[in-house]
Amino acid sequence: MAYGKARDYYQGELAKIRQAGLYKEERYICAPQAAEITVEYPRGAPQRKVLNFCANNYLGLSSHPQILEAARKGLEERGYGMSSVRFICGTQDIHRQLEEKLTKFLGTEDTILFASCLDANAAIFEALLGREDAVIADKLVHASIVDGIRLCSAQQFVYKHANMQHLEEKLQEAQVCRFRMIVTDGVFSMDGDIAPLDKICALADKYDAMVMVDDSHATGFVGKTGRGTHEHCGVMGRIDLITTTLGKALGGASGGCASGRKELIEMLRQRGRPYLFSNTVPPVIVAAGLKVLDLLSETTERRDRLERNTLYFRRRMTESGFDIPEGVHPIVPIMLYNAKLAQDMARDLYEEGIYVVGFSYPVVPQGQARIRVQISAVHEQEHLDRAIAAFVKVGAKYNILGKGKREIIDMYGM
Amino acid sequence: MYEQLRPILQKRLSEVKEAGLYKEERVIVTPQGAKIRVRPDKEVLNFCANNYLGLSSHPKVIEAAHRALSERGYGLSSVRFICGTQDIHRELEERISQFLGTEDTILYSSCFDANGGLFETILGPEDAVISDELNHASIIDGIRLCKAERYRYRHNDMKALEEALVAAGKARVKLIATDGVFSMDGAIANLPAICDLAERYHAVVMVDDSHATGFLGAHGRGTPEYHGVEGRVDVITSTLGKALGGASGGFTSGRKEIIDCLRQHSRPYLFSNTLSPVVVGTSLAVLDLLSEVEELRTKLWRNTAYFRAEIARLGFDVKPGEHPIVPIMLGRFSNDAQLAQVMARDLLEEGIYVVGFSYPVVPKGQARIRVQISAAHEQEHLDRALSAFAKVGRKHGVIP
Repeated sequence: MAYGKARDYYQGELAKIRQAGLYKEERYICAPQAAEITVEYPRGAPQRKVLNFCANNYLGLSSHPQILEAARKGLEERGYGMSSVRFICGTQDIHRQLEEKLTKFLGTEDTILFASCLDANAAIFEALLGREDAVIADKLVHASIVDGIRLCSAQQFVYKHANMQHLEEKLQEAQVCRFRMIVTDGVFSMDGDIAPLDKICALADKYDAMVMVDDSHATGFVGKTGRGTHEHCGVMGRIDLITTTLGKALGGASGGCASGRKELIEMLRQRGRPYLFSNTVPPVIVAAGLKVLDLLSETTERRDRLERNTLYFRRRMTESGFDIPEGVHPIVPIMLYNAKLAQDMARDLYEEGIYVVGFSYPVVPQGQARIRVQISAVHEQEHLDRAIAAFVKVGAKYNILGKGKREIIDMYGM
Repeated sequence: MYEQLRPILQKRLSEVKEAGLYKEERVIVTPQGAKIRVRPDKEVLNFCANNYLGLSSHPKVIEAAHRALSERGYGLSSVRFICGTQDIHRELEERISQFLGTEDTILYSSCFDANGGLFETILGPEDAVISDELNHASIIDGIRLCKAERYRYRHNDMKALEEALVAAGKARVKLIATDGVFSMDGAIANLPAICDLAERYHAVVMVDDSHATGFLGAHGRGTPEYHGVEGRVDVITSTLGKALGGASGGFTSGRKEIIDCLRQHSRPYLFSNTLSPVVVGTSLAVLDLLSEVEELRTKLWRNTAYFRAEIARLGFDVKPGEHPIVPIMLGRFSNDAQLAQVMARDLLEEGIYVVGFSYPVVPKGQARIRVQISAAHEQEHLDRALSAFAKVGRKHGVIP
């Protein structure tokens, strides 16, 4: 009875979302994550096999036999759940081992695990910065960083995406503050562009600021040995705090961490709210995470193959006439500018057996709609070629091959 | 820059240490259970886990986890709405709705995230949230992220709640938020009175039932069942990380439109990984177990009643109640915070693993040792804990 009035209100909100064409429908996958998966979509439709080009399964470890075996061993040796937070009775020897291994892999001083990178980002700003301090964030940082910053009392500055001149201005404005922390994604998830960390670190030195990087779309494969954006940009040891995830390239189940200066990590262990007030990472994830890092430290074969796949796909798609911003990252944005065009093409590609997702406002800026393709090391040559052929077929249907931004907008509008 | 911050942080950390508030983590080298092994090398009885039903390492649960790994893989490397929804995710959501008797359910990485993503999504500046002062930290953070007007009422005080409801009179949507069971006291929220007030003042009721789902109420459906107000609570958040296997994962369950709005706009749902297949598959098996193994619940309540009666008989000051969270209060001693730490240390020496809690986790002058009873405890475990408490309590003059 009490809910009655509220129900009308929420029904109205939902109707608005549907009318705007922004209602998210989930597709049901009836198999482990892989290059080729079985999907039911829409609900109740017959299942079909499609090639997956929209997972963060960059290294193909999400269902890798050795990872599964490590998970099984973890279950046997350390059980299923801990039913506790870390500081009560939720810390096993393997939690410590994983923290140490991540520290070594990332080239930092210490590491703290979180249930997710979202939780790591929610924790750090409030625990480390106060009213007298300044956070200076790239305009396009991930939602979880935005929320973490909202929870902290430091002064907030935003600089234009990857714009070093603007960052410098903001650093100058923030000189009155006690501490300054520059905050950026290592790789931006919608564009696949890489933050200029070398320049950011130079500015940090010049203006006496700390640097924090969310490297979720980089850890494990960006940089010559896959350490991440700091390796790619040649600034290892100069980043004060890195947050990243075990939920993408590193097996993809769940879990995240913050890694960096010893005292920062120690402080997070004492004060990080999602760390103190939420469950420890379950043993099975920790055990599998250890195995992932072993595999990555043994060989760069997977990230090398991912790089080859990415460069091939980017080159062939560009040659085929798609509008793709230059880059080297396995996130490949196929620019379409118009939201409906992005939805329609993604639907047609699904019909062709290629599973990709169209993104539009508010996930990307207005007039920047796109299909985001994500390449994986598990894609075979044949998978890439099938995807390219399907894109060419669908691109031709909509008459966008060889067309630039202006022409596509002229045809379809923003 | 960091070189300037380093000494400041070092100083803050040593202050935390001096105040006796530094959290040291004890390293466990076995699966979770009644009996665990901790470093350096000591076998202890665990009385501080949320492993209420003893399912965290139950053989049937482990077996289900193996099966889930085989059938649905390890990771999905995606959020739900891109390519992170398997058939079993939807199945688990439906099973939870059935179990709790609600309209729909949405999974999160944790109940912490469920609470973090709830308020902002369903309440705007025209609305009001009215929250018990002792609610869990994640509810507080969720409320901090939302734009609704905020009211806080004295813990479990229905008169104060009514005053807040009156004060929030003009708000479009009024939402009362409470823990079902409060984690530091084991106190159970007065849901019948809360639901009555909600009806009188046209408010929506939200309950975080993390310390209740699976074992409180005749069928383990939680605080609403215990209080006979099933169907009158609009939103329940809870966890798979305590009684229900204890690995990770949480959910929000309740009115269909609210769940649907969360699926469209809740930030931790849209911007963080899906729940991993192994947790989803195992949780399905846990729900099966819950309807089968009534003896686990019976044993938990029998253990709890026995321990509560015996520890009180020894002369300890125990907060009255019936929940497996048993707070042993030390507030009548002036050095209560220190006493809680020292007693917990001595109890560990005796092979009983418990934790002392003091300010700021609980109010000043209310330091305590929080004991948590499990269905995994055998009679002999309870008796060993009681005799250790007797010995340590006498040593410190806490009991005669």
